Amino acid sequence: MREGEISGSAEHRSASCAVAIVGCGVISATGNGTASFLTALKNNTSCLRPNERFTGPRFQSNIVGTAPIDPASDNPAHQLASIALREAVSQIGNRQSAIGNFPQISPARIGLVLSTTKANIEALERLSDGRPCSTTARRHLQADLLAADLAAEFGALGPVQNISNACVSGLVALMQGAKLIQRGAADAVFVVGVDHLSAFVIGGFTALKAIDPQGCRPFDQDRRGLSPGEAGAAIILVRGDFVNRQNAAATLPLLPQGGEGRGEEFESFSKSNPLTPALSPFGGERESDTRTSPLITIRGWGSSNDANHMTGPSRDGAGLAQAIRAAMSAAKLQPTQIDYVNAHGTGTPYNDAMESAALRTIFGDTIPPTSGIKGMIGHTLGAAGVIETIACVLAMQERFLPGTPRLNNVAEGFPPSLVKEPRAAKRLDHILKLNTGFGGVNGALILSHE
Amino acid sequence: MSELIFSDGNDVTAADIPAARLGTRFGRMDLSSQLALLAVEPLAAHFDSIPRDRIAIVLGARAGSLPTDVIFWEGRDAVGGLSPTLFTYTLPSAAIGEIAIRHRLTGPNLCFVGSSENLLSEAEDFLRRNEADACVCVYMNVITPAVNKFLANFEDVRASAMLVQLDDRHLNAPRQNPP
Repeated sequence: MREGEISGSAEHRSASCAVAIVGCGVISATGNGTASFLTALKNNTSCLRPNERFTGPRFQSNIVGTAPIDPASDNPAHQLASIALREAVSQIGNRQSAIGNFPQISPARIGLVLSTTKANIEALERLSDGRPCSTTARRHLQADLLAADLAAEFGALGPVQNISNACVSGLVALMQGAKLIQRGAADAVFVVGVDHLSAFVIGGFTALKAIDPQGCRPFDQDRRGLSPGEAGAAIILVRGDFVNRQNAAATLPLLPQGGEGRGEEFESFSKSNPLTPALSPFGGERESDTRTSPLITIRGWGSSNDANHMTGPSRDGAGLAQAIRAAMSAAKLQPTQIDYVNAHGTGTPYNDAMESAALRTIFGDTIPPTSGIKGMIGHTLGAAGVIETIACVLAMQERFLPGTPRLNNVAEGFPPSLVKEPRAAKRLDHILKLNTGFGGVNGALILSHE
Repeated sequence: MSELIFSDGNDVTAADIPAARLGTRFGRMDLSSQLALLAVEPLAAHFDSIPRDRIAIVLGARAGSLPTDVIFWEGRDAVGGLSPTLFTYTLPSAAIGEIAIRHRLTGPNLCFVGSSENLLSEAEDFLRRNEADACVCVYMNVITPAVNKFLANFEDVRASAMLVQLDDRHLNAPRQNPP
């Protein structure tokens, strides 16, 4: 077939089944690993810091979310993605098979969906400046080649896709992973989100005057813009009927039993929250049943386009509301059944106002507890939807509501249910995760604890 | 199972751009978005018979946004610095936004970088899941000489588009919601 023509496989099997989340991996400004991410979530820690690399007149601010990777690397995108995916894969058992505790899944039935907006844009900067750049780093300028190499590296020999839907890419990648499983194209899918800090992107946001010089303050009355961040985040999706009582040991082994991340920081959260001992694994009851806890599944999703403006969201939130309605309909849920909303919450004046308007449209005066974590890790672009969904998974597993780091004074007219500080949750059966992006794209994903 | 119905858009190249009459906004777009809009234009005749929120857009971009990335990054040392307008187009999905705005299409979107192999299957999936009643498929193969400093590939600048629908039997079927 000649390049330039539209092609595609017409093969389609309508296989509706639950899609379960069985492993997660994170590297971000909170550190390397899901445990340190959970620690930051429970302590509401902002990990935004000055980064000298982005100091100077070309950048609106040097306050960013920097991940602990080799700063001299010519291929930070691959580094972030592979670290996150390695952790996720390690969580589901040993590497005797590509997918650990699921030996019945052959490599040919494992897919990979990569979410990124700029892939390894570091290579463009290096090559433009005449700096050294390896062949592999140059190759990973292309998102499809980065996805293909990750799939080969991690033994995913099934369908490989890469998604680049602006800042909604991560949620769309999760939707695509679930679709591949539901239509029978794969039994498991590695969903990986990645974007790294670069002069290219921070310079671009500076040109748009979209960065808060003091660091982002989502939903705050004084918010002035976003803070760039970098991250790798990975989620492993598996056909729900492969995760049952027979292999319950494989169910949600997301957190290490003891060890890193179970130290003083958690103690401080437990002590400051009277409800926590009864609800947290550190408190007792759930410690013993972590490995038999119910499945966390992707229950429904929706996406839409504002068809309004390339960089500004629609003022009334109608597009995002449309996506939320589609997700609720697909999940067969009513608004009153949503227990928590994890917002996009960039900290830009228009985004946060639009999101508040969309939530009012859907929930009226009874908006569920809502928070956003970009004040912790920054806006991680193509990784945002994946890492923020992991925050939701951890919240469900540990039954707490994440806070909104760096939010001091809630802006007038915004949801009174905004969660500033993390707190224990009595019930977290259904979570709504939202993202929006340039080009008017909106995404909504519903996670359920079943 | 209901059949897919295809309606052709344009096959366009860079040579078609100067003659285009799509308003002043068109002139401010990057090359990829201009090609995509021209490719989709003939499909507009179909849009009035379908609810705009039920029309999806699936886009593939051979080189992602690299053609625009290169131009944007060349401006780093220019007077006035990097262009905010061009930065908007340094996302592979930017053309989706322009198509959506021009035709008021508010349905779901999907954007791939690389080959066109997933386009039709994903369009079909939107239709069979009843997430959309029609899907605009666009493929952009934009490998400029500037891009080829970074990718060893065959230079080409073209785009094509089509509208995909299911036959009427499916349009009357109940929604298929994921569980």
